[in-house]
Amino acid sequence: MLLKKVCMIGSFAVGKTSLVRKSVQGIFSETYKTTVGVKVDNKVVRVGEKEVTLVLWDLYGEDKFQTLLRAHLSGTFGYLLVADGTRLATLHEAEALEAKMRQEIGNKPFLFLLNKCDLRLEWEIDDAQQADLAARGWEILHTSAKTGEGVEAAFQRLAEQMLV
Amino acid sequence: MPDDPIYRLPLDPQEEVSSGEGGSFEQLRHLILAPEQQDLARLRERVEDPGLRTGDISAVLPEAIELRREVGGEEALGKALLPTVESALRESVRKNPTTLADALFPVMGPAIRRSILQTLRSFFDSFNEAMDHSFSLRGLQWRVESLRTGRPFSEIVLLHSLVFRVEQVFLIHKKTGLPLAHAVAPAVAMQDASLVSGMLSAIQDFVHDSFHSAQGQILEKINVGEMEVWVEDGPYAILACVIRGIPPPDYRQRMAEALEHIHRNFAEAMERFEGETGPFAGANDELSQCLEFRYKEKAGEKPKPYLVAVVIAVGLALAGWMGYRGWQNYKWAEFIETLRAQPGLVVTDFERIRGHYVIRGLRDPLAADPTELLKAAGLPLDAAEQRWGGYYALDDAIVQKRATALLRPPAGVKLTVADGVLRPEGEASATWAAALRSKALLLPGIRALDTSQLTDTDAAEFVRLQKVVEGAIIKFAVGSSVLNVTEAVKLEQLAPQIKLLLEKGRLLGENATLDVVGHSDSSGVETTNGPLSRSRAERVAAQLLRDDVVKSELQSRGVAASEPLRKEENEEGRQYNRSVTFRVRVAQSAAGAPSGTRPASPLDTPAAGNR
Repeated sequence: MLLKKVCMIGSFAVGKTSLVRKSVQGIFSETYKTTVGVKVDNKVVRVGEKEVTLVLWDLYGEDKFQTLLRAHLSGTFGYLLVADGTRLATLHEAEALEAKMRQEIGNKPFLFLLNKCDLRLEWEIDDAQQADLAARGWEILHTSAKTGEGVEAAFQRLAEQMLV
Repeated sequence: MPDDPIYRLPLDPQEEVSSGEGGSFEQLRHLILAPEQQDLARLRERVEDPGLRTGDISAVLPEAIELRREVGGEEALGKALLPTVESALRESVRKNPTTLADALFPVMGPAIRRSILQTLRSFFDSFNEAMDHSFSLRGLQWRVESLRTGRPFSEIVLLHSLVFRVEQVFLIHKKTGLPLAHAVAPAVAMQDASLVSGMLSAIQDFVHDSFHSAQGQILEKINVGEMEVWVEDGPYAILACVIRGIPPPDYRQRMAEALEHIHRNFAEAMERFEGETGPFAGANDELSQCLEFRYKEKAGEKPKPYLVAVVIAVGLALAGWMGYRGWQNYKWAEFIETLRAQPGLVVTDFERIRGHYVIRGLRDPLAADPTELLKAAGLPLDAAEQRWGGYYALDDAIVQKRATALLRPPAGVKLTVADGVLRPEGEASATWAAALRSKALLLPGIRALDTSQLTDTDAAEFVRLQKVVEGAIIKFAVGSSVLNVTEAVKLEQLAPQIKLLLEKGRLLGENATLDVVGHSDSSGVETTNGPLSRSRAERVAAQLLRDDVVKSELQSRGVAASEPLRKEENEEGRQYNRSVTFRVRVAQSAAGAPSGTRPASPLDTPAAGNR
């Protein structure tokens, strides 16, 4: 059996927990709870002939929990960096988190997920900003925890990156 | 070479240069000796330069140590190296204690624990002894509970005596929190190992960071209701055991040993772990061995002496009681069989009601007395209640008894009954035989009467007397009808026999009458012989009537010379024909008996062939 520890990080209320819940259990919760500490879930993905079990660590991303965050990051093979498309601040926080991750665990595969694409009209993050990130080597995916759009693809893509 | 003068010359280059004589010689000398001089200079440099010398020694050092060991100078080498090794270890510990600790982890643990175990074992032995005593009373309570609830004792013991059971064992990679291997006890709901491992790791991290515990210290135990999670820490992996109940303290040592063993075999694989759990399949055996369980049955393994005595006493009492009951049952069963074998007794029901035996059935009045049989069997009379209904048994033995009782055979007659046929044997009077014939077939159980073995004494006597009487001849003188003295005596002697004959005839139901027949010889004329013969008959008849021998059953007649007794060839013949003889006449009886004789009929049956 092939297992890969994957962390989900991002600012408060960007929809990490809902992304996991939608994908893993298929049940969307409108009134999602603030993640405290960590919650572990499984996601089985097939890459070519191989079956990979992603062990998802849904982490709380606030700075005050940084020591705890550091401990949880140990042994991570890759991560999903999540931001809320409707809040520009979460993009800046994501950039800061990415820098910290590089510092903690080195260059590991990651995907940048711009969540809430079902609310595209309310987005504060425009294409230029995304192009700028892409130029820095970030791989960006648009997801919606509510409709499930892009969620499966995100897990699939991250698994592929980790197996390269 | 040493004799060569050239080699004795100094080879100082300065000298060579300063010398002005013999340039060609010098040139030659240079040509010949320059390579040697260069080698020499190189060698000197290697000897004198510490850097180069170190390089040379390092190339041969392992071989040199090996050689030293082989030639037997090992101790000296050890002594020489000891201070260096010690200071090296000191330095290593000072710099980073973890390195050495990790390296020594697999070997140090067992050694330390072994010595601690030795010390603790004696303590635990006495502790267990004390525990055993406290369990014996509990054991009795469980037995009572088992009796009260009706559940098997073993089940009660199991419920009460489960000390602990290790239900799941996780081997968790420390760095990633991913499960390397997982073992589950039989019949335990399996959880997703990766989720449990992840959360356990997360909780460890949380506790570690929240309480700022020292490096290497981990959360060793988590209590969740009646479950406990015990965690044992190793350099690369942790072992987490989910336990129901309270495990003994030495179980932690068991865990530590397992974890050390796993580290010995898989340290390298764990260090390089990239998510593939395949290489750790070999650790599953070690994990499975951690799935221990224990019951408090240790107390039961060593039963207490008094408990053994009680159990044996109860067992013996039970066996004795069961033996007695068994013997009683056997005796009663045997008795019931005896009853069933008895003619005239039919046991329809036999049961035991509250220690009391009830026998129900049918009994012929002539059958054996069950109470007497009970006495003979040695069974207590008051233990049995008998309820018999009356009936006529058709068993031959009972029918024989009944026939004997009702027919009352005379002393010389024996009655037997076989297959419903009554067979009297011996001699009996006609009276009794007549009664037998009239009554026998009325008795229940008798379908036929066989009198072939019964002799009728009256009939035999009748036949004998008839012969006597009919053979008698009362003779007369020529032309006379007067009885002379001799013949008168003869008639007198015959009279009682005639009387008896007629009585027997009456007894036998035969209508017997006596003809007195007068004869005359053929001399003389018919007109005189007729009256003469009649006169002679009347004379004898009158004598018999006078003597009250006969009453009315007598006829006299004269037949003259028409029925001569002998041929009259001489005087003797004529003498016989001047006589009176007797004839017994038996009228045909209603039963169809033949006249004269009455032989016993072979078989009297109401309906021959109809059984």
